[in-house]
Order: sequence, then C-alpha cells, then structure tokens
Amino acid sequence: MGFLRLLRVWRLRLRSLVRREAADRELRRELAFHFEELVAEQIEQGLPPDQARQAAHRAFGNVAALEESCRDQRRVTWFHDLHQDIVYGVRMLRKQPGLTTIAALSLALGIGANAAVLGAFDALILRGLPVANADRLVAIQSVPLDNPSRLSGNSPAAYMAFRDRTQAFDTIEMSIKFAGDVAGDGAGTPPERMTGQMVTPGWLSMLGIEPMRGRVFTVAETQPYYSAPVIVISHAFWQRRFGADPGILTRQIRVQGTVRTIIGVMPAEFRYQEPGVDYWVPLFVGPQPDAAGRLFGVRARLKPGVSLASAQAELDSIAAQLAAEAPLQNKGWGVRIRPLNDFLFGWTRQPLLTLEAAVALVLLIACANVAALLLSRSSVRRREVALRTALGAGRWRLMRQLFTESVLLAAAGGVLGVVVALIGQWALLTMTTPPGAPPLPAIGLNASVISLLGLLTIGTGLACGVVPAIRGSRPDPMVSLKEPGATAGPTRRRMFPQGLLVSVQLALALVLLIGSGLLLNSLLRQVQRDLNFDPDGLVRLDFDVPASRYTKRIGSHNGFPYFEISTPPSQTHQRVLERLRGLPGVESVAGISAPPVDAFVLATMDVTLEDSTSNSATYFLATPGIFHTLRTPIVSGRDFTTRDTAAAPWVAVVNETAARRFWPGQDPIGKRLTLDTVPEEQPREVVGVVRDIPTRHAESPQPVIYASYLQQPSRYRAPWAGLFGQMLFMIRPTGDPLAIVPAAQKAIAEIEPERPLANVSTIRSHLRAGTGQFRSYVWLVSVFAAVATLLAAIGTYGVMAYTVDQRTREIGIRRALGAGRREIVALVGRRAIVFVAAGLVWGLAGALVLTRLIRSQLWGVTPTDPVTFAGVSVMLVAIALLACVIPARRALSVNPTIALRNE
Amino acid sequence: MPKPSDLLQGTLDLLILKTLSREPIHGWGIAKRMLELSDDVLTVQQGSLYPALHRLEQQGWIKAEWKDSKHGRNAKFYALTREGRQQLERELMSWKRLSSAVGLLLKKA
Repeated sequence: MGFLRLLRVWRLRLRSLVRREAADRELRRELAFHFEELVAEQIEQGLPPDQARQAAHRAFGNVAALEESCRDQRRVTWFHDLHQDIVYGVRMLRKQPGLTTIAALSLALGIGANAAVLGAFDALILRGLPVANADRLVAIQSVPLDNPSRLSGNSPAAYMAFRDRTQAFDTIEMSIKFAGDVAGDGAGTPPERMTGQMVTPGWLSMLGIEPMRGRVFTVAETQPYYSAPVIVISHAFWQRRFGADPGILTRQIRVQGTVRTIIGVMPAEFRYQEPGVDYWVPLFVGPQPDAAGRLFGVRARLKPGVSLASAQAELDSIAAQLAAEAPLQNKGWGVRIRPLNDFLFGWTRQPLLTLEAAVALVLLIACANVAALLLSRSSVRRREVALRTALGAGRWRLMRQLFTESVLLAAAGGVLGVVVALIGQWALLTMTTPPGAPPLPAIGLNASVISLLGLLTIGTGLACGVVPAIRGSRPDPMVSLKEPGATAGPTRRRMFPQGLLVSVQLALALVLLIGSGLLLNSLLRQVQRDLNFDPDGLVRLDFDVPASRYTKRIGSHNGFPYFEISTPPSQTHQRVLERLRGLPGVESVAGISAPPVDAFVLATMDVTLEDSTSNSATYFLATPGIFHTLRTPIVSGRDFTTRDTAAAPWVAVVNETAARRFWPGQDPIGKRLTLDTVPEEQPREVVGVVRDIPTRHAESPQPVIYASYLQQPSRYRAPWAGLFGQMLFMIRPTGDPLAIVPAAQKAIAEIEPERPLANVSTIRSHLRAGTGQFRSYVWLVSVFAAVATLLAAIGTYGVMAYTVDQRTREIGIRRALGAGRREIVALVGRRAIVFVAAGLVWGLAGALVLTRLIRSQLWGVTPTDPVTFAGVSVMLVAIALLACVIPARRALSVNPTIALRNE
Repeated sequence: MPKPSDLLQGTLDLLILKTLSREPIHGWGIAKRMLELSDDVLTVQQGSLYPALHRLEQQGWIKAEWKDSKHGRNAKFYALTREGRQQLERELMSWKRLSSAVGLLLKKA
C-alpha cells in the first residue's frame, strides 16, 4: 500500500473514531443533497412540490438503513461495539458491587501471586547471575558416594588435582572462610570480629568484576609457604569501618595478629562468590597438601565450548585417580560440578515450584468462582438475552458482550494484582535462606513480571469467561418474553455447570490443603523432635580466644601452616568456666566447641579405629559436665569429669550412632580411637555413650565424637588450630534464662577486659533459627492453602445462595402445601452433598497422585500420611457444609405467602 | 492486489472509478452520468452507490471535497486519488480479461 494512501486511510479512520458526530453530520448532508436533487428532478418533470417530495421519499427508501450501511464502511464499528460493551459491562458489574469486589480481589490475589512466584523463578533459576560469562561459572563440591545429598567442600589435594589434571577450565580457584579478628586502631575504633576469606589469586577476578579501588592479588603474592601481608576489603567494610576513606589504599590494619596493607576495595556488586565476606587475604596452596579436611570452596570457569557433562566426566576420572592414590582420604568420595547460579540459588527451585503449584491452584479456584458467578448472572439475564436475540443481536455479538464482563473483571484483577505481586515478592525474598547461602536479590517490577501479569490477566479473563459466554448466549426457547417477573427455578441440568465448578474448587482446595498439611506436619515434627537434650532455659554464650593469641607458626605440615599451641586457650576457658560456675543463680554450666544442633560449620574428622579401619565423624570439644548441663541421657559409661586432665589418659565420649557404626554388636566402652589430625594426637579411650543429638534438625543422626577440651595436642595444623580456641558456654540458670547475662558478661570482662562477648542468646532462639527457612516457606504455602479454602467456601456459598434464590417460589409452594423443615433442607441440601462428595473424592485422588512430588520436602511423614489426609478432609467438608448453612437457613425462612405474592 | 470480490460489487467499483476518472463529481452526478453514458440501461440505486463510495473512500482510492455544485448548492465531490487511478487501471485490465474470456466462451460453446 502506498504511503500516501495509508496516511489518508488512517486519517479517515481516526476521524470516524474521534470526530464521529462530524462524520455523521456530513453523511446526512450528502444524502440530503441527493434527496433535494431528486425532488428538483421530479419538479422539473412537472410534479407539484409536495407530490415531488413524496415521490422522492419513495425512491429514496429507508434513509436510516442507508446511513447505517454507509457507516459500516468506516471499519471502526468493532471499536464502537467494544466501547458499548465496556460501558454496559461496567454498568452490570456495578449493579452488584459486593460480588464484583470479591471476584476482582480473588482474581487479583491469584494473578499477583502467580506473577510473583513465576517472576522469582525466572529471576533466580532461569536467568542466571548478572555477571560476565555467568553460564560458564561453576562450583565444585565433593560428595560422599553413599550419601549424595550431603555435599561438602574440597580438600586442597583434590583442588590441586582438578587444577593440574583437567583441560576443562580456564580458571579454577579455591577459598576458605573464617571468622577473623580485626584489631582496634588505638584511635578509638574497637576490635571487631569479622568474616574473612583466604582466596587464591584468581578468585576475586573470575566474575569479571573489577575492584572499585586498587587491585586484587597477584600470583606472586601467594607463593607456596608464603602469602604477602596484603588485604582486599569489601565495599561494606570500607564504608562502615573506614568511612569510605578515599585514601584507603595507603592504610594498614591488623588482622588475626598480622599487619596487612590494604591494596584494594571490591565493589558492592561483588557478592556472588560467597556472601557476607568482609575482607580477603591471599591463600597459598602447598606443593604436597594433605588430603584430609574438605573445607575449601572451589569455583571455576569452564573454557568456552566445554559442557558441564564433559567437565563432570573429567572430574569423575580424577576422583577415581585420587581414590586409588590415597584411598584412606578419598575412597568413597566423588566430585560434583554445578552451575554457580544453581549452587547459590538452586535451593529455591523446589520451594518455588511447590509455591507455584499452590498459587496456580488458588488462581484456578478464583477463576472457577468468577465463572460460577457469571453463570448465575447469565441465567438471571436469560430474558434480556432472549430480548436482544429477538431484536436481532447475533450470537457472536452476545458472546462478545458476555466475554467483556469477564475480561473486565480480570483486568481489574490484573491491576490490583500488581500490588499483590509486589507484596508477594517481598514475602518470597524475605524467605529465610539456608545457612551459607547469599540473601536473595531484589527483583521488582521487571519486564518479565509485567509481561507475566499481562499474560495471566488475559488468560484469566478468557478462562473465566468461556463457559458463561457460550451458555449465556445460547438462545433459550424456554424463555418467553411475555412471562412476567422471575422465571421458573433452575432445572437440574441448568444448575449442573455451577455445581461442577463447586466440586472442582473443593477438589483443588483439598489438594492444596493436604499438601500444606503434610508440610506443616513435617515442620511440627522437626520443631517437636526429641533432640535428646533439654534446650529450655539454656543460655549460650560464645567466647573465643583468637588464634593469634595461642598459635606460633613453627613450619608446615602437609602444605598447611603448622602451629605450636603455647599457653593453650583451654586455660582461659577453664578460668571462664570456673567464674561462671561460681555465679549465683547458675544451676550448671559447661562448654562445647560448637552448637550441638544446627552449627554453621561442623568439624568433621577422619577417625582410625583399633583394627585400622577408617571412618569419619563430627567432632566436638567439651568441658566436664557437658551432658549433665545439656541433660542428655548417658546410655552407658560416664560424662567428662574434672579428672580428665591433659596428664590423665585421653578419653572420648561417642553417640549411639557412632557406637553402632564403629563397633557393631560390641560394647564400645574401653575401645580406642585415633583422630587423624597431627602426629601429636594420642589414642582416646571411649568412656561413655550418649543418646544421639541430631547435628541437623532435619537429618538422621550422624556419628559424633566428643573429646575433652583439656586433652589436646600441643601442635596443630591449620585450620584446626582455630577450632581449638572457640568455646560456647551453656549456662542453665535456676531462674529466668536471660537474667544471668549481665552477671556473666561482667565475670568475663574481668578475665578478658579487651574482648567483647559475641552471641549471647538462648538455645531456643538458636533452634528456631535452624528451622527458620523451612518455617517461612511452610508458612507461605499454608497461607495460600487457607486462601484457596476461603475462596472455595465463598464459591460454594455463592452457588448455594443462588440456588435457593432461584427456587424461592418453588419452596414457597412446597411450604404452602405442607412440606416440613426437613423436606426443605433435603431439597436444598441433596445436591450440595453430591457436589461436596464429588469434590472430596476428586481432591483425595489428586492429592494421592500429587503429594509424591513434595516427598523430598517432607520430614517424618509419608506423602500419603493417613492422619493428614483424614483430618484435612474432615475440615474441608465441615467448611463446605458451613458455607451451605446460611443459604439453607434462608430457604427455611421463606414465607409462602410472600413468595407466592411475588408473582 | 485487489481483494477478490463478487462480480457485481467489483463491477460497481469499476464503473464508479471510471466515471470519476474524467472530473470530480458528487454522488447524484455519478448516478446521472452512469445512466446517461449507458444509454439509460444502468440505474444505480443510492442504497448501493453511497456505501460503495464510502468504501472506496475508506480504501483510499477516491477522496472527497465539499464544493458548490452548478446549482449553487454545497455538495460532496469525489475525485480519484493517484492510487485510485492505478487501481482503475488494474480493475479495467481484469475486467477486459474477464469479458473477453466470457466472450470467447459464448462464441465457442
């Protein structure tokens, strides 16, 4: 089409739309001219003017029809129809503001929640990290072959093998995180405990994010046995501690007893490698690292064109080589490579998918609700439809009119859905992250969330509208235009679709309720799990002696710095313990190196038994009386006592799982075990067996070894030297737990005036934090289940109320003919019971199939837990029947005379 | 390309375009002239004429302008646009093809 013509055509269309009156006026003038010419012609032929006029009228025919068919040529009628439909639709919706509001709100909830969850899934799982070459960044972890879900860090030996024997990566780096003390500067800045990370030189540059000031480490700064006294700090650290000092690069700080020069500041965007790190120092890797200690994080960047699968295959063969070369350390271990994004945010996949299933069900229920509402309304409007059909409205035109209403409702839902989506996002992103995972990044109303909102709105409008539009526009021969007032009550057939929608709603709600019931059940079981110690009334008080205080570097052992422990920190711990014990109001007190449940980092050590077999176990240092204070039952043997000193024979206490696994069918008391750490380590005799305290809330018990804090080697290899200085004192006061804190702090300040206490809290709050992630997620699912149930109840109520409304006359007649309350209730209730029962059966069947999908998120219950299924079913049926009660009461209160007089 | 249209409508469009090709003229004049030129054979009813004119205008083949007619009354005059002239050529060609085909068939059958 030529450009000029296009321009002309569009100008005309626009004129027909915007200046419609003018166009109509012109049309009339044009036709009037023709008419006048016609009259003039007749007069010319000799007719008198009035007869000429009549003749012209005859010749001209129906002017209105002619005008209409001219207007039809404008090609904009669809627009006027649409405008008319919208005006009419809005008027209809405003007639029943209550129902319209409920419908729009429930659609808003469904649309917004779906947009929030799908948007989060898109941002966290599908989209990848916002850094260069995000698709090539990977995390490498080691994994016990017999327990693939328990992913672990890597040993330096494995890292070196990956680095030197593969062709898959163009960079591969290693790091280890630690809590390090930054000294005060003497000018008022106090000492602080901060999170540091030792990294190989490429670690800071592999994301392609440049330091905002200065530089990162060079290879020369991390030679074997040497790491330069330099440090790179985080943006947050620079801002907070140095007031964003522009001259930061010349300054020096003392970290862990070493004076280091600040050479760089990383920008705030540098947060995808490891969360919450305040500073980085160079990590060196010795030429012959020992294989034990899987504590190191390894990240790599695949070479362009190398697939994840081929890299995994290369690493598998290296794992096999390592197992052959050093079976003691590596047998039974494999390697797992994952995309970095999956490593950081992959944990959200399962919760988000489950939540999406939940919100999808909510949206479906909301749609069913709106469809039932529109259906009810369309049967009320049968006479109107009949009238309009009689006046010549086509079926398609009527369907479009009916569709407009559902699309209008959906559009209102979509607009309100923006608010719901934002709230939903906020709720999702505050979902507690698992320990060690970075906080979830903000998403906001990005392009994909907005397009999701749009698509969901259109889809919802069509989904709600299709059945009412088809049924509503069907010309109904039963409806007579002459018939006055309300027509006869709905027939069984006519009520069928609404009833079906009620059943579907109840079924969907039941599936969701059962799913969330199973999750809630799992949560309750986790919270109420018998931890084999008594957390109530226990206060924890963390007290660390910094490693720089007691370690003296004396060389290297297997590639690690090797320290002499001079003035063991246990001496300080002993003094603290005695002071605490002497406080008034303390029933008992004892120390342990880490929280027994849900510790952030668990020390896991290789253990050699008397028959030279090797095992691995979680390892705690403890003071005398620890099990007494924890109130952990001792199965056999004894607790640690004050007689277990460095000079006495070294002893250990094991848990039941360790006893069973290490010495099956034997009495563990008196057996010996040796920790595979340093040559100075001595064999320890098992003197006690205690009940299993699960090391993680939601995991089955693992082998645990407890050793006395006094019976330790005098030399240590990093990083175990750090473990040696940390102690967590468990205080069991006689009164209010936290009332003891000031006295305890004062006592410690007298021993250690310079060192502030970190982390004073109750054990209860620690345990709560441990289940926080699961708790927040289960909470979200439960909220959606409750919403779904509410919507289904509203739907049931709506349909029942409508049925009663429509049958008022029939009920009146029956009452007048002597029907009792029972008959009336049976009349109304019979069909309700059928639909509720159908919903129940379908819901149970659906749940049986679908709950298998959340098996991995359940703990302590099976996906088909009969108690949950039965309990939730009873609850839903009760709610559904309750929703029928009000309509039934209204049916009973029908007054026969009034009902009949209405005719 | 013109849309496939039925013979009658297509023919009316062709006749209108052809009639307008000489000079701009109003609807009444078009009807009169078609009658004259066809020796009183082709009467076009206003019920067909005006919708056709409006359609052709909406398609951009003809344009309208209000001018005084020779009796001094204001009337809506239609004129061919440049594209309308090309459209007329196309319609003429296809009409000729069609009528010669019909002629051939009638002669040979």
